[in-house]
Amino acid sequence: MANAELVFLPATELGKLAAAKEVSPVEITEAYLERIERVNPALNAYITVCGEEALAEARRCEAEIGRGESRGPLHGVPVAVKDQIHSRGIVTSDASKIRAEFVPEEDATVLARLREAGAILLGKLNMSEFALGDPVSSAFGPAHNPWDLARNPGTSSTGSGAATAGFLCGTSLGEDTGGSIRGPAANCGLVGLRPTWGRVSRYGVDGACWSIDTIGPISRTVADCAATIGAIAGFDPRDGYTRREPVPDYLGRLAEGVRGLKMGLVKELLEPGLVGVEGQTRDAVMAAVEVLRGLGAEVKEISLPLAPNAGAIVRTITHVERVSLHPEWLRDRPEDYHPNTRVSFATANLIPAQVYYKAQKLRALMRRQVLAALEDVDVLLQPTSSGPAGVMSLEPGESSVELAKSALVEGSFRGVYSLAGAPALSILCGFTSEGPGALPLALQIAGRPFAEETVLQVAHAYEQATEWHNRKPPI
Amino acid sequence: MERLTDGEVKALGKAVGLDLDSPELGRVANGLNAILELMAEIEVPGANMVEPLAAPWAAEEGQDG
Repeated sequence: MANAELVFLPATELGKLAAAKEVSPVEITEAYLERIERVNPALNAYITVCGEEALAEARRCEAEIGRGESRGPLHGVPVAVKDQIHSRGIVTSDASKIRAEFVPEEDATVLARLREAGAILLGKLNMSEFALGDPVSSAFGPAHNPWDLARNPGTSSTGSGAATAGFLCGTSLGEDTGGSIRGPAANCGLVGLRPTWGRVSRYGVDGACWSIDTIGPISRTVADCAATIGAIAGFDPRDGYTRREPVPDYLGRLAEGVRGLKMGLVKELLEPGLVGVEGQTRDAVMAAVEVLRGLGAEVKEISLPLAPNAGAIVRTITHVERVSLHPEWLRDRPEDYHPNTRVSFATANLIPAQVYYKAQKLRALMRRQVLAALEDVDVLLQPTSSGPAGVMSLEPGESSVELAKSALVEGSFRGVYSLAGAPALSILCGFTSEGPGALPLALQIAGRPFAEETVLQVAHAYEQATEWHNRKPPI
Repeated sequence: MERLTDGEVKALGKAVGLDLDSPELGRVANGLNAILELMAEIEVPGANMVEPLAAPWAAEEGQDG
């Protein structure tokens, strides 16, 4: 295999080749750096590329493997992380002018754990400014969708989606508040896992919303996703909200299958009149349900009455919490924000306290509905989004009240599990068409808190039974 | 429900130290009205008596949270 072809292999396959000394981590890293140099100008997925540091780390990994040492499935595999995750000695910008010169003194826990697992940091990935849900607000220009450069790669982990789908890293990390891992995974045809709130440490990650933020993988295969979450999950004494739950061997348990599992299809999120789901999305999700039934799962319709409201509820909470972090910047440096960020933060400042409080009460009810449903079934199924990736537009989302309301309702698909604190995974489940110009469609699989392994098992079984993940974007 | 006018939103902004002007004032008003309308439409019997949820569990004592 030519070295340039290495980038197209799954991260876990690269790890196996490196462990078997069939390929050196240096060769793998060089292949990714060459592709980044060639392809990143079109995708704008990276804010910072750490070429020299990555090669030095690759040489260390090569020496370790040469001595017979193993750090696990990601040993010698190049990865990249969203630019709100602190990286020692490397700028962590939040894609904002305001943070463009911020150099952390230590790694975030998730990055430290990736390094302990032998992963090689290729660089820091583009994102929506301060992790807001806007595709064009990055101070470094927007990232582009590898399936169609004019389209939104999914917010707010825009670069994590673009880089992973564009084969510019083996696997990546994103941060998900209202859907910022699952949205990019859906738009770019990837596997993205929002873990249970408390499963993965947030220490050293610039906050968007303290009570909802999670960090998780965006990967090309379910196995890569399992290996990545396995590397970063678990209790961290520096994040008091992480739990002392044992971390299963996600990768080792993937093949357990779905026979006998009970699954609930969330009916409210398949009704066009409630949330605007498009016909092709609905058809793709229903086809995926039939695949799972064919594998031995028992699927029935289930109701989450508050689900269509989840977008408004989650946005109310995240808006208020997000803007509380640095109110002085908005007053003292408003010109340093992208106009869309400035508008969003200003709006957040004006939400009445009783509306925020109502949202917190509704959040409690939403969580109860999700947990009650998950007493009856093992996982919940639904679309990740109403439709495929949209064309990126410079027109502001708030140009009318109606447009602003539509955007809030769209957030309901992913907001349900952000509010519930439950794990949810997005996986490619079809395309808009057969030929050129085809765009990915996505299925969302949610599970009980701390039952990520079940969600991953369902996703793996579906992936192995279908061919969607074998298609490559035209970049 | 009746929507907030740009003037009312400007006054609210002043109350929190923000000086909002056109064209962003109109966008802020649209975004705020959208949230207020959608939140007002959610009516769940008994919801007022529900204890609000900030986080699913408390932080462990003595740890940064």
